[in-house]
Amino acid sequence: MLGYIRLEVTRILRDPGYVIMGFAMPLTMYLVFSNLGVAGDDRIWAALYMMVNMAAFGAIGSAFNNGAGIAEDRTAGWLRQLQTTPLAPVRVVAGKAATGMIMVLPAITGVCLSAALLNGVRMEVWQWGSIVLLLWAGSLPFTLLGMAFGYLFSGQTAAVLTIAANMTMAIVGGLWLPTEGFPSWLRTVAQWTPSFGYADLPRKVAFGETPGAGTALILTGWLVVFGVLAVYGYRRAGRVR
Amino acid sequence: MTDDTKDTVSLKDVTKRFGAVHAVDGLSLRVPAGRTVALLGPNGAGKSTTIALLLGLLTPDSGTVRVLGGTPEDAIRSGRLAAMPQEGGLVSRTTVRELVGFVSGTYRAPLPLRKVLAIAGLEDLAGRRLERLSGGQAQRVRFALALAGDPELILLDEPTAALDVRARREFWESMRAFTARGRTILFSTHYLEEADEYADRVVVVDRGRIVADGTSGEIKRLVALSTVSVTATGDGAFLQRLPGVVSVEIRGERAHLSTRDADATVVALAAAGGIRDLEVVPVALEDAFLALTGQAGQAGQAGQAGQAGQAGQADRAPGPAEVEV
Repeated sequence: MLGYIRLEVTRILRDPGYVIMGFAMPLTMYLVFSNLGVAGDDRIWAALYMMVNMAAFGAIGSAFNNGAGIAEDRTAGWLRQLQTTPLAPVRVVAGKAATGMIMVLPAITGVCLSAALLNGVRMEVWQWGSIVLLLWAGSLPFTLLGMAFGYLFSGQTAAVLTIAANMTMAIVGGLWLPTEGFPSWLRTVAQWTPSFGYADLPRKVAFGETPGAGTALILTGWLVVFGVLAVYGYRRAGRVR
Repeated sequence: MTDDTKDTVSLKDVTKRFGAVHAVDGLSLRVPAGRTVALLGPNGAGKSTTIALLLGLLTPDSGTVRVLGGTPEDAIRSGRLAAMPQEGGLVSRTTVRELVGFVSGTYRAPLPLRKVLAIAGLEDLAGRRLERLSGGQAQRVRFALALAGDPELILLDEPTAALDVRARREFWESMRAFTARGRTILFSTHYLEEADEYADRVVVVDRGRIVADGTSGEIKRLVALSTVSVTATGDGAFLQRLPGVVSVEIRGERAHLSTRDADATVVALAAAGGIRDLEVVPVALEDAFLALTGQAGQAGQAGQAGQAGQAGQADRAPGPAEVEV
């Protein structure tokens, strides 16, 4: 399975789409949002707030990109080829999920490093550790949703869905603009989205607050929903040939 | 059942339908170890479906599929069965070496990577990205993937369909390096020449059924036809009654006799004083093939021979003379 993960990671690293959407764009957006048009105390706040948001945004994009690739692989007969190797199907799925979990790391570490090195963000070591860990572990639901897209839809449809889902997650979940500025009804909706919960947990840690148990519960709920969707998608993709 | 375990492949009364189409229709086939067997038939004959059934990618509606004494899944998981798909399976943004190395790594006792690349003739292409390969090169990579784990049985689905004549020859040269190791190969093809040249045994399928089964010489004898042409004058009715003659076709002055026994026909023609501008031409392979598959619906001679073949009898359809084609 390690060989499979290595192969998939290598493939994604060579994908210009991944490098742009999963790394370059969140990093650039972070540096822009945290520096342009903000001054004084806002600057320190923005450097930290947008760090978590853009790391989350980049991780979601990377996780989706990994899953959407499955659609392309299916069309190319790659999944079928894998079925005729001794690699057990469950390992193929687990390997792809593991690949997704690896591919979110450049966005998370890239944004966090530039926050520390370029924007002078300073925190306790345990805070850094918790934030990175929460951003990393919390990306699993998005990896699973991306895989569900990849199993359920054809290449083109999966790609469009991925972009649409990515935008929705970013906007409604308050990754681009804080939900505080939303109309109250939209703020209520936002709190139920997976992306809000995903970014809110590490954000609380960053600002020295205690992450909400309710938020964690909502994210766990989405983990279960997307997990079921991914399993359903995998089963359906296995049946329809 | 004890016999089954000796066979690398054992299909028993296997049926697979797609809607109203019987892709595989009561097919039984046994392949002993160490043979190269061709599954020959036109497009839509059920060859690819049969191979998908043998790989466990499809489940039969009825009948049993056994590979190397167990289920296809077991054979694949244990690394004893590998396959080369007709197309696809080559992912983008990966080099030849990376892909073959990865697949090789999924097996417990693979061939050394260098050897695999050498057999498939890929040494010079090892560092190339898969999306930059020609059709023939891509096919050699698929072959390399199939042999990487040194399996006992390889299934090849139309391995040379996309190749030109030269690439096809190169492909089979690589294949010979593999069969020399005593491995079993089952390949599908719609090229009779290919089955003729590279298989020890040819199984002709049409509309999901086996219509003939034997060595390529036996297959050809079943339809065993040569064409004896003479310039005919007067009443040609006697031509039909000559020994060996199956059918007569008069085109202008020329009478074309399809015969199962060209020698006897020519001797009889000479005795009747009918030889003028004699020409004897062995049947085109494609014609023999069409004749065979055209009989699929009937309980013709070919069909009976097919059953004899399945029963594993050695003395099936002995022909009077070897037809040189």
